[in-house]
Amino acid sequence: MEILLQLTVSGIALGMIYAVIAFGYQLTFATSGTLNFGQGEALMLGALTGLTLVGHMGYWVMIPLVMLFGAAQGIVVERLGVAPAMKTKSEFGWIMATIALGIIFKNTAENIWGKDDLKFPSPLSEEPLKFLGVRVLPMEILVVIGAIVMMLAVELFNRRSIYGKAVVATSNDRDAAGLMGINTGMVITFSYALSSLTAAFAGVLVAPLTLTGATMGTVLGLKAFAVAIIGGLNSGMGVIVGGLILGIAETTTGFYISTGYKDVPGLVLLLLVLAIKPAGLFGKAAIKKV
Amino acid sequence: MSATKKAMLLLALIVLASLPFVWPNPYYIHLMVVIGIYAILLLGLDIVVGYTGEVSLGHAALFGVGSYTAGVLVLKLGAPFLVALPMSIAVTALFGMVLALPALRVTGPYLAMVTLAFGTIVQIFINEMDFLTNGPLGISLRKPDFFGYRLTATDYYFVVMTIMVITLVVVNRILKSHLGRAFEALRDSPVASDCMAVSVYRYKVYAFVISAALAGLAGALFTYSEEYISPNTYSFELTIQFLLAVIIGGRKTRSGALIGAVIVVMLPNLLSDVGLFRIIAVSVAAVALAYAAYALATDRRAARQAVIPAALTLAMAVFAYRIDDMTDYRLTIFGLMILFVVYYLPDGIMGFLRSIVLQLRPQWLSRPDTTAAQGDSQHVWAPPEHAVAVSGNLLEARNVLMQFGGLKALDRVELKVAKNSVHGLIGPNGSGKSTMMNVLTGIYKPTAGEIEFNGALISGQTPAAIAGSGIARTFQNVQLFVEMTAIENVLVGLHHTFRSNILQVMLNTPKYRREEREARVRAASILAFVGLAELANEEARNLPYGKQRLLEIGRAMGLNPSLLLLDEPAAGLTAPDIKELIEIIDKIKNHGITVILIEHHMDVVMGISDTVTVLDFGQKIAEGRPAEVQSDPKVIEAYLGGAAEATC
Repeated sequence: MEILLQLTVSGIALGMIYAVIAFGYQLTFATSGTLNFGQGEALMLGALTGLTLVGHMGYWVMIPLVMLFGAAQGIVVERLGVAPAMKTKSEFGWIMATIALGIIFKNTAENIWGKDDLKFPSPLSEEPLKFLGVRVLPMEILVVIGAIVMMLAVELFNRRSIYGKAVVATSNDRDAAGLMGINTGMVITFSYALSSLTAAFAGVLVAPLTLTGATMGTVLGLKAFAVAIIGGLNSGMGVIVGGLILGIAETTTGFYISTGYKDVPGLVLLLLVLAIKPAGLFGKAAIKKV
Repeated sequence: MSATKKAMLLLALIVLASLPFVWPNPYYIHLMVVIGIYAILLLGLDIVVGYTGEVSLGHAALFGVGSYTAGVLVLKLGAPFLVALPMSIAVTALFGMVLALPALRVTGPYLAMVTLAFGTIVQIFINEMDFLTNGPLGISLRKPDFFGYRLTATDYYFVVMTIMVITLVVVNRILKSHLGRAFEALRDSPVASDCMAVSVYRYKVYAFVISAALAGLAGALFTYSEEYISPNTYSFELTIQFLLAVIIGGRKTRSGALIGAVIVVMLPNLLSDVGLFRIIAVSVAAVALAYAAYALATDRRAARQAVIPAALTLAMAVFAYRIDDMTDYRLTIFGLMILFVVYYLPDGIMGFLRSIVLQLRPQWLSRPDTTAAQGDSQHVWAPPEHAVAVSGNLLEARNVLMQFGGLKALDRVELKVAKNSVHGLIGPNGSGKSTMMNVLTGIYKPTAGEIEFNGALISGQTPAAIAGSGIARTFQNVQLFVEMTAIENVLVGLHHTFRSNILQVMLNTPKYRREEREARVRAASILAFVGLAELANEEARNLPYGKQRLLEIGRAMGLNPSLLLLDEPAAGLTAPDIKELIEIIDKIKNHGITVILIEHHMDVVMGISDTVTVLDFGQKIAEGRPAEVQSDPKVIEAYLGGAAEATC
């Protein structure tokens, strides 16, 4: 029982990271119907930039700078990769372009920071706390809090501010929003900036728990895909639940079966959800108009 | 096939066959074998990417599944080549089906996401299941042997090339058949495909499974060619190479797949030699600059588009001189190539060449006819597959409620359409006419109520099933298969007349050839009937608007419907066109096809309808003969908005 509890707690921290990345997918999917297939690379660049910066300043000062960097990176991805494909309405175009940018970022990171994984200094004590016999790292608590704060902040922005309303309007009906004088191109660019910003933030959150390196993003980005589909590409609640399900499924699989197979339940769940409820556990099916 | 094309193919075959004798270097022979294997896979990948427009990021993994099926069969059971090969195809096709069935249920980037995940999982399984696959150590085996004779590398070259040529012929046959037309149609307009009884979901899955089977075949051949396989080969990078190959060669062409295979196989060799890479980068930049200069001199708008690619290639050339070792930058170069091709060479090398040829070709050299079929008036009509069994009403909609959130687009509507009549459906904008069409054809599932057609309940069925039972339609906003020719559009409507399965198409059996010939005569006849005989080989997107609407009617007639739904067929038509349209509708009715007509041109509706139903705000407000309806005060009020207080 204690072991199961321990696995659940570790799974929660992992799951929240997936949830934040998946949340980033939702942000761009809502406004433009596109996703950044290089989202994992945005996370990796955030973590590595953070690693370089953290030596010159504290962890807490570094976070806003990394977020700024993430936003800039998102703008580059949108301008170079997505905007031209949106013009020609080519799904193939944006998928391939974001993949291409992703591998360029990864390759560049390899050439700057090397191919080996690096240790990211933890800002909090690495001594685990004990609750009811369960060991929790202070950093894991920070991950959960940080993830929730990030998602709440974006939701609040969308609901309360006039700019957020422009984002929501664009998500609901891009053409109508455009006719109401909203610069929807700008909103889409903004959503990409926000999406990469959350990914970069997730990168510096997760980095002290894992190792940092050019290849760290690929698998995380992939898991977050699974989470986004399981939870539903248009449901905020969905990604949190989906993230937790996947995180816990992974830690338990890793413990009870083999760590080699820990990535497998994600895909199996993904296929099952698509087969049974294609819009995701919490998603709403869209009505297509003719 | 024209004589020059035949001669060129023969020449290519001779070159392929004589290559090992002219050029007996084992390194190059091996390279040619790999090119042949990649070509097989790419021919399949193009079916998914080029034709159906879906993106697969899992073809390296499927390739791996094929490789390992053959490898494990040989390792564990000592299976012979002729057993391992078909098993690899079957197993990989099965994997393809397991992926495609759930992932293609929804539109959107789901297939890409699922196949990407699949790629990772396959590598994990190959690594972890070492009791079967030897894990990271890999599997070693030798070239296949037949009756004690072990094939040499040169023999194997001939085996692979023969299989490649057969694959080429077979894939070409599939794509030129009704199956290929279905793949192409569902990309251009999914909703119209469904309404032509060509189920989008089903044919997308078919396409993916065929593609997976070819990946499996290629994988098995690869195992024997390399004589050693290990998990790391089947990586994401390989998937990227495959996709790059398909788009750089040119989608929807067989030659594009071959060119793509040559390029990606040679690429790593080019990239390992920095000197050669510099020469290539500089010459590509020179070509791009020359083109930009030419564009600047002739057309300013084209020049602006040419500036960015020219700058990109120039940057690449400068980059080539800045670095000494290529290996560290390989992925960056792949990435840049993909970006360049996606945005500046979207139709690939073959598409680019074709556009140049089309530009340079003199006017008098007109496009050769792709069809020789001649239509006549006897072949326009064919009886519906499901004969009309009822005697009274062909269609009855009872108590139909269609709710979108809080809005009732249709509020308990009753509709009875008498057999052999023209039934007009009118009402102001937003009254629910088009919603009714969509409910009748299954695009929307009604919230409540039921629809009976020809004695059977159809509400709740898929659009493809409803179309198959004999309801055809046209669309308010024209939904043609724009990249296909007029006659091909009608042939998609005739899809249901084909009984041949994929095996018969692959073998080009007499039965299939007869069906294709008959369908072409039918299609040409229908085109002549709607007045489009001369435009048969023109792409649908190039037709004028009025002709596009007529083509939609022709396509719907291909379905041999017993009920035809026309959604504003006269919208945007000129007066002479409308006259033609009325004649066509009259003839359709006279051949026993019941028609439901939505129209805003009152003279058209009142002139040809037997009964008219009027909808307003989702409710039926009047029904009867045209003259009765026209004098109904409720109808006048709905249209002119008068006397509001009188009714309160």
